[in-house]
Amino acid sequence: MNPLPVVAGAAAAWGLATLIALTCGSTRAGIRASCAVSGLGGAAALAGGVSALISGNSRVVSAGGSVVVGTLQLQATSLAGVFVALLGLIAVATALYAPRYHEPGHATGLYLGVFNLAVLASLAVLVAGNVVTFLVAWETMALLCYLLILRRPRQREVAAGAFWFLALSEVGFVAIVAAFVILAAKTHTMQLDLIAARAHLVSGDWRVTAYLLALTGFGFKAGLVPLHVWLPEAHPVAPADGSAFLSGLITKLGVYGIALFGFVLLPDGPAWRGILTMGVGAVTAAIGILYALGERDIKRFLAFSTIENIGIIVTAFGAAMTFLAYGQRLLWAFLLLAGLYHVANHGSYKTLMFQEAGVIEHATGTRDMDRLGGLAHRMPRSSVITFLGTLGIAALPPLNGFVSEWLIFQGLFQGFRTGSHLVAILIVLAAGTLGLTGGLAIYAFVRGYGIPFLGMPRTRQAAAASEARQPQAGPALLAVACVALAVGAPVMLAGLARAMRTITGVTLRPVLLPGNLTVIPAHTNFAGFSPTWLTVFLLAVCAVPALIYLAGRPRGASRIEPVWDGGIIAFKPRMQYSAMTFSAPTRVMFDALYRPSVSVLRASDDPAGSSGPVHYESEATPIFERYLYRPVVRAFEWLADVVRPIQSGDVNLYLFYVFAAVLVAYLVAAL
Amino acid sequence: MPLWTLRGLRRGIVTTRYPARPDPSAALLPTPPVFRPDVLTPGLADRLVAVCPSRALARDGDLLVFDVGACTACGRCRAEAPHAAGDSGEFELAATVREHLVKQIPLGGRSA
Amino acid sequence: MMSQDATGPAIQETSEELQRTVTRMFGRSLHIRTLDTGSCASCEQEIRLLAAPHYDLHRLGFFFTPAPRHADLLMVTGPMVQVFETAARKTYDAIPDPKIVVATGACALGGVYQPDPFTRGGIGSSFPVDVWIPGCPPSPLALLQGLLVAVGRLADKVKDLDFALNGTPT
Repeated sequence: MNPLPVVAGAAAAWGLATLIALTCGSTRAGIRASCAVSGLGGAAALAGGVSALISGNSRVVSAGGSVVVGTLQLQATSLAGVFVALLGLIAVATALYAPRYHEPGHATGLYLGVFNLAVLASLAVLVAGNVVTFLVAWETMALLCYLLILRRPRQREVAAGAFWFLALSEVGFVAIVAAFVILAAKTHTMQLDLIAARAHLVSGDWRVTAYLLALTGFGFKAGLVPLHVWLPEAHPVAPADGSAFLSGLITKLGVYGIALFGFVLLPDGPAWRGILTMGVGAVTAAIGILYALGERDIKRFLAFSTIENIGIIVTAFGAAMTFLAYGQRLLWAFLLLAGLYHVANHGSYKTLMFQEAGVIEHATGTRDMDRLGGLAHRMPRSSVITFLGTLGIAALPPLNGFVSEWLIFQGLFQGFRTGSHLVAILIVLAAGTLGLTGGLAIYAFVRGYGIPFLGMPRTRQAAAASEARQPQAGPALLAVACVALAVGAPVMLAGLARAMRTITGVTLRPVLLPGNLTVIPAHTNFAGFSPTWLTVFLLAVCAVPALIYLAGRPRGASRIEPVWDGGIIAFKPRMQYSAMTFSAPTRVMFDALYRPSVSVLRASDDPAGSSGPVHYESEATPIFERYLYRPVVRAFEWLADVVRPIQSGDVNLYLFYVFAAVLVAYLVAAL
Repeated sequence: MPLWTLRGLRRGIVTTRYPARPDPSAALLPTPPVFRPDVLTPGLADRLVAVCPSRALARDGDLLVFDVGACTACGRCRAEAPHAAGDSGEFELAATVREHLVKQIPLGGRSA
Repeated sequence: MMSQDATGPAIQETSEELQRTVTRMFGRSLHIRTLDTGSCASCEQEIRLLAAPHYDLHRLGFFFTPAPRHADLLMVTGPMVQVFETAARKTYDAIPDPKIVVATGACALGGVYQPDPFTRGGIGSSFPVDVWIPGCPPSPLALLQGLLVAVGRLADKVKDLDFALNGTPT
């Protein structure tokens, strides 16, 4: 099936949804209509993405353009197929979520219009067939996402977050433009597939420069450390479906760009660029989860977790490039496949978690974990759905996060096949860092699920939470998607393997899926497991104690007593674990990273017990802002100060500038 | 090999065999008193009741009511009247019914 | 659980059956939760010695546990200070049935302290007690005997003692 018409249908649906939202989005019916059309577009995009995966690169289609920008060309590639399918899934989930989440009003209509346009722009980035289309779509997407974040522009943190987003997006854009310009200039074409075909015309140095520029530029968008500082500022302040879209898809557009440059346009390169990418990815993953452990705000916590997962994906990509440099083509294709699978998985569960964070915020009025608690009894369905998402994101079997991380680990463990001891050790170091990240992720998500949902409510607002009239269909769909991606992993991987044949030319299917439902990491004598059978096995294992209990429980009446609390006379909910105390061991161990600044204020100097309230505050030092960004900003400010005298306001001086410029231009032309 | 294992092997098993065999250290335990009914007079009984700090002794007509459960084995009654109260040597005093620990001792002594 | 006052033949029989059930359930493995309702801690020191090598209650199948949910036997010391009553009640309620309550030491049995605004003077009015162990403090041997009586492995002897010596002293 040709994916382009389906994708075009999705684009048309989203355009229509924008129109509906902008015109009648202030009424509930208008919101519903717009979301319904948007959902249909999402379904079409999902179908189109899957068909692009399977059927290979489509042909390039010209879609108009003008003298100024040149021809706009579109092509649905296999690499983009995963991302388009993910975009479709997120669009459907948001379409189910938005009607109940947003209040009808003029601002909501505008917001939904901008949202659908942003989705459309992202689609355009993914199906861009030439450089100009890509860059125009990219910049449009960035600007629309900026507007998306600015849903409530009067709040200071919203404005600050949106500014960070736009500023760093633009800096990255410069690097992206530079990378594309280098390639287009050296290969004398703007069409992406032709650039890929003529990559050998670009000399080694230019190739490396273009790749590094692309890594930096797309790294800003993806959220690689130290280019990530905008992410925890921007993602939490957008509305929940906007945050979900940003974390679930927009960061993946950065990943798409890195994959485009690393695997399609410039597949061959020295080993050190793969190792560099892998190292950046591993550091990103570790730092992401370490900062996540210090967060009380649910959305900031999830934003840092996004950084961690992007790090995992980029580590997989980097290792793949390293393997190619040593001739291991099977592992090259395999790790690319594993990384793309993790893209799909992370998109599903991160979107779910952000949507549920929005539900919690609307139900309790707060995003602070330390003000929540006991939500599992008050919001049972939401808690089950969030639990499935937590299982996925913490990479616990049998869910999809486990499968994709298993694949990535198995690929990394085969580092010895490169033949170079140093490289093998570096790859193992990356695997070790990912292992640390995985352990910390489980720790972080026990905290992220346990503190708000389990235990007793810590405040009245948490005790009064209710899930009536809260959106549940959207997150539920994503939970089903997570389970399907896990149990049906062999099917998904078969589709991805087809895409790998198109992108890399390597036939992975026989070595990846040798039989029914078992997955092999590229070499049969290394490892293997079956996600489907693992799920069945785990369900059976959990059924056994349940059956024993049902058969053997005592027939007599049983007594229900309160939970044993040590006999404390008045147990207050605030005596429970708080989010910050739960993560205190990690914060103590890694305090070289956090560098907390602690301030303690006592009301008086009397001995303990009679000194009155004590105010304790501990804040992690923002090392990237302070030691990397602020010096750069200061340098630019200094430069601007140096140059400012030019702008004196004196008309005569300006006339002199004009005269001097003409004189210089004349002299240069004459020489 | 650490020295304490050698020391332990030299000393042998120190665990008591109680309840299968009697424990020799039981002879050193402080235990509640036994009374001689033929020496106890009402006056003597009243003195013993007054001197008990734990209210284990009471006089009920011509019976000395001795609550073994309340006795702390302090020995004041024995110090007050050594001819009337001696050491019982009983330490296995667990009871399933509280009243089993309340003993009635007849006052059989003749007032001097 | 096992306390009986009157002992007619029918109730005696039930009590023996009950005794057998208790011995069957707890005779080989018993988990003890100690509760200090305001004692001077001498009883606690003797209870601690039970775990020491010389007395070693583990060889008899007894174990200490801090969690009432895991306990079978509640060993109570102290005269039940008033401010502790709620916590003591919570501990008692938190232990699943069937359970055994052992009052340990003269304070818990009603001696030493008389009821006043600050103490109840003994725990008999707070819980249904199954075994009473006198002593101040009861030695570890007395405690072992009490525990074995509680699980029915030893018979209680004190009901046959009369603490009265007949005959002239030597």
